Amino acid sequence: MSTLVQSDGRTHITSSLMRESLVDRRVIAKTHSEREVQIMPDVLLIGIGGQSIFDRGKEALLPLVDELAKARGTQKLVIGVGGGTRVRHTVSVAYDLGLPLGGIAQLVGAMEEANAVFLNALLAKHGSMVMPREHFWELPLYLESKMIPITISIPPYHFWEPPAGDSPLPVHGSDFGLFQYAEVLGMKRIIFVKDEDGLYEKDPKRHDNPKFIAKITLKELLANMPEELILDRMLFQAWEHSRHVTEVQIVNGLKPGMLTAALAGERVGTVITKTKES
Amino acid sequence: MRRTIESSLSDALITDPTRGHYDYSPVAMMPDVKVIKIGGQSILDRGRKAVFPILDELVAVKEKYPLLLCTGGGTRARHIYAVASDLELPTGVLAALGGYVPRQNARMVQMLLAKHGGVYIMNDDFEKLPLYFRLGCIPVMTGMPPFGYWEKTSENGRIPANRTDAGVFLTAEVLGAKRALFIKDEDGLYERDPKKDPNAKFIARISAPELIARDLDDVVIERVVIQYLLHARFCHELQIVNGLKPGQITRALAGEDVGTIITKS
Repeated sequence: MSTLVQSDGRTHITSSLMRESLVDRRVIAKTHSEREVQIMPDVLLIGIGGQSIFDRGKEALLPLVDELAKARGTQKLVIGVGGGTRVRHTVSVAYDLGLPLGGIAQLVGAMEEANAVFLNALLAKHGSMVMPREHFWELPLYLESKMIPITISIPPYHFWEPPAGDSPLPVHGSDFGLFQYAEVLGMKRIIFVKDEDGLYEKDPKRHDNPKFIAKITLKELLANMPEELILDRMLFQAWEHSRHVTEVQIVNGLKPGMLTAALAGERVGTVITKTKES
Repeated sequence: MRRTIESSLSDALITDPTRGHYDYSPVAMMPDVKVIKIGGQSILDRGRKAVFPILDELVAVKEKYPLLLCTGGGTRARHIYAVASDLELPTGVLAALGGYVPRQNARMVQMLLAKHGGVYIMNDDFEKLPLYFRLGCIPVMTGMPPFGYWEKTSENGRIPANRTDAGVFLTAEVLGAKRALFIKDEDGLYERDPKKDPNAKFIARISAPELIARDLDDVVIERVVIQYLLHARFCHELQIVNGLKPGQITRALAGEDVGTIITKS
């Protein structure tokens, strides 16, 4: 039972962290343990690209809607959407105006909201809904009733986005946001749907015949990061110390059936794993 | 076909901000605002004896400077972190739950300052700050940044790395304030925790790179803040003063180098 301690002029509640400095490495180490609760381990997160998919409109989106409608009910799915070209335009105007980085980060999420509504307008009749980003604790209700919640991806760093020196681009982007969404809920897999087959050594939109990477471990990737990344660099940095996400897959949403294959566990596109697959 | 909007960034690699070259000159939003943190364990958990004189000092200068007060968590936040760690919950959950305590503390401070124009604001009210200052109010908000469930997992332990010191620093940075003031119950930074080692050496002024190089086991401020300071565009100094010593806050707000100053370079 907890009791109050007032011997030093401060009022403490007894606990293993009472009176301690939470900056002290030795104190922090005491809160470490090998295990961590997996809150919703059997949920699969799907990220749908903004510029790569949504900005292409009907031709890219409708076939994906069909695949998602067929997948509904076969497993528990949550969809996160990117913002795309409107995000770039927002940042470019804000950059020119000289808005502080936190101000820029505050603005960008609004552009994703539109894509969440676009997707939901197409998918609603098959059982989807727009879900506020942090309404995690309602997820069991939605998933048990076989709904597909759709959320924005950007993390809520807002005005508090940490400074990044000369860059006007927030480092905590949408891919990182989705990663963290999966990680905190103890999910194991994320599938990113883009307009390329997966990860290349160089951006295939800028270079001819770059080498495709079908399979790689996080460690290998961190040791030799491609200069032009298809996902946020911050995602990989955060993944290094994370505990739950074991696999990030990137598939080409413009190729029919790729998402369905990935949902069925097939190793299509690029598969990045936390550790080496046996 | 992608329907893209042409802009200076339509072709930029936004996945990796560190790679590009940018000529970015942000403007300071409200450089005159004094962003002040009132410590949780250090001040608020001491109750009336510590809190009242500090609020008196702040009220006395409220006509001189726009004051934005942010509150720390303290022992109840530690209790949440201890129980949540025992339950082996993820860092993001600890960060989200730890946020409740500084909000309670902000509400307590607001009640005490109400007769002097204290208004409780939430992160979402941030854009109304100019209104509150114009009306002569003292806005009070949580020091915790809104990262919550999106707080990254740490390499070691599960205590969120970004807590109220980080939130206060980032608040000062986005507003364009040059200095952030932290009111604690020690004179500033020491080489070791002065509560455990009374002979610990005091450090009056130090730069962020020097402080990182010293690699101290314990520091008076959250470590991420020192990292952020290195990359800051506006907030280039942190000042830590002892709120239990009368007059320290008033002098710090007047620009005197009392307590410890941690500088960007």
